[in-house]
Amino acid sequence: MNADLILILVVLTNLKLLASSRLGACIRTAAAQGMLLGLLPLLVHPHTAPARVVGLALGSAALKGVVFPWLLFRALREAEVTREVEPYVGYVTSILAGILALAASFWLGGRLALSTLAASPLLAPTALFSILAGLFLIVGRKRAVNQVLGFLVLENGIYTFGVGVIAGIPFLVELGVLLDAFVAVFVMGIAVYHINREFDHIDADRLDRLKG
Amino acid sequence: MKHEALLWLVILVPMATGGLAAVLPSPRKVLGTLCAGVGVTAGLGWLVAGQVFVSGPVSAGWEWLYLDALSAYNLAVMLLIYGLSSVYAWIYFGAELRSGHLTLKQTRLFAALWCEALAAMTLVFVSNNLGIMWVGIEATTLLTGFLICVHVSRESLEAMWKYILICSVGVAFAFMGTLLIGAATRGLRLSASEVLLWTRLQPHAALLDPALIKAAFIFLLVGYGTKAGLAPMHNWLPDAHSQAPAPVSAIFSGFMLNTALYCVMRYVPIVETATGHTGWGLRLLIGFGLFSILVAAAFILFQHDLKRLLAYHSVEHLGIITLGVGLGGLGTFAALFHTLNHSLCKTLAFFAAGRLGQMFGSHDMGKLAGAMRVSPVWGAGILGSVLALIGVAPFALFMSELQILKAAVDSRAIAALVLFLFGAGVVFVGALGHAIPLAWGKAETAVKPIRASMLETLLVVIPLVLLLALGLWMPGPLQTALNEAANVIRHTGPAPAGPLVGGLP
Repeated sequence: MNADLILILVVLTNLKLLASSRLGACIRTAAAQGMLLGLLPLLVHPHTAPARVVGLALGSAALKGVVFPWLLFRALREAEVTREVEPYVGYVTSILAGILALAASFWLGGRLALSTLAASPLLAPTALFSILAGLFLIVGRKRAVNQVLGFLVLENGIYTFGVGVIAGIPFLVELGVLLDAFVAVFVMGIAVYHINREFDHIDADRLDRLKG
Repeated sequence: MKHEALLWLVILVPMATGGLAAVLPSPRKVLGTLCAGVGVTAGLGWLVAGQVFVSGPVSAGWEWLYLDALSAYNLAVMLLIYGLSSVYAWIYFGAELRSGHLTLKQTRLFAALWCEALAAMTLVFVSNNLGIMWVGIEATTLLTGFLICVHVSRESLEAMWKYILICSVGVAFAFMGTLLIGAATRGLRLSASEVLLWTRLQPHAALLDPALIKAAFIFLLVGYGTKAGLAPMHNWLPDAHSQAPAPVSAIFSGFMLNTALYCVMRYVPIVETATGHTGWGLRLLIGFGLFSILVAAAFILFQHDLKRLLAYHSVEHLGIITLGVGLGGLGTFAALFHTLNHSLCKTLAFFAAGRLGQMFGSHDMGKLAGAMRVSPVWGAGILGSVLALIGVAPFALFMSELQILKAAVDSRAIAALVLFLFGAGVVFVGALGHAIPLAWGKAETAVKPIRASMLETLLVVIPLVLLLALGLWMPGPLQTALNEAANVIRHTGPAPAGPLVGGLP
């Protein structure tokens, strides 16, 4: 298994997220993406794999692959709503937008001087595509849980970029980032729970009292 | 050695206070501990900040903690605002406790998050590592999220959701920018632990890859700009400011926005040097600053809710500060001076809005009409602070805005000058139209006049007197501190600050 294969799989998970109509499937796909990205540092820097790289990879995979999905499934169970995604933008349009975004990412990734630095030519485009897909999921979906997933995908894109382009981010910083991602999802999970209890729904589009 | 220990203590004391406050048995004890903890932190912070101005930058923890003139100045102002707001929280939540609107659990939650947020903001100012600085900003977002809905209601939940989501996405962009800065250092051959140290990057900024630095700065400006409430990324701000309890709004507006803007200021010298002093980054700042002023001016005209009005004033003033930094020269000095003035004034405004809201049971300006009769102290507070906010002479905000205008004339930025004056003019007319009926208008509902306590009177008088005094006379040490802080951004030798500094022209 090499880095390119993982990156291609990440692109596919993004497309799957754009196309899925079930919230449960979306959470599982995002979990798979998180697991895949956990492996990435081991493959990108195969020769320099001291304990901390391994530890961080394991921690990140466990967090994104196990803890986050568990938190989100819990929020979903508490909410007891239909498991439809309820998009603003239809699935076919979403996929088409995704393919356009993918093309744009490859174009932009090639133009940036980064590709010479990166471990794989696919790295910068994949990272950019994840960022765009994440933004699309945040803007184009009604469900609060879906917006959390969008945030996770966006975060994953930035993580991909960080792993591939910068070999030497200090350990403490990486740890801080991981911790922040964890707390962010945790906080959002609690927020979803509160919103559901107060409103009897988790549709972010109906959060529309505050205007002007 | 002693000062190194102080740098650690300013982070650890509020953290410990937050932990302690979360387990105390009575709400009064919780709030008292909070005030004491913030007071001790402020004392320590001012001590170390004073040391920086006397004998130069202080660093600790293998250079990971670092305090220079710019961060010391911001830290000192932040602690002043936090101290005032903590005393106000004692009054504000004290009133809620008496009327039974606040439970022990809510008080503990508030106190713990309040202190941890202070620790996170302090971390932003004292960290030399740009990555840790980012961690601090993200931590403030997450910690303050639940401060908005201390009282859970539909509106406060909506505000919190928008705040957390929009700011998290924004701050994620800032992290992308931080990574790009890291990528741009490839040529410097720094070790992993040095890559993001500001003190390593700044002297070698000329060697960084300009294309990557430009890309990075765009991400950083959009990212931190979201948190700083710059338009067009400000959508979360009026909601969060209007729904949060008043002490929290005061901190949000008074210094959380400035904390994010401080991060942008940190990058300005690096970006300017790396792009060969072409003013590329500064022009971006001018653009965002002006756009924020104009957007805020448009919204200020049509506000009905007092706290939303004040929130849009924050967008305007953060825009003015950004504009000042973008103009450079005297503008940088004036921007930092404006930071202090705006923070003092805006906290007072939110204090008054909060107390009046408690008395009238609403923040709608129609219902608050005639506030002066009901509470002369807080009525005077809101009127005085709104007058200062819109730039009435001789308050200090007028002076700093005048200096920014002068900076615009100096650098021949005529378009910026005209747009700034237009925006400020619209705000002046719009906000004055709101403020006069608010103070003296005919009351809609009869509310019994309420006497303010001695402490409340002091909370109104101290900021107003400070603002008046600073408008008429600038003390020498403050001027030196501002100049040193501005020089960190300008990255030049000591320069004369211009004839306007130190009093009326």
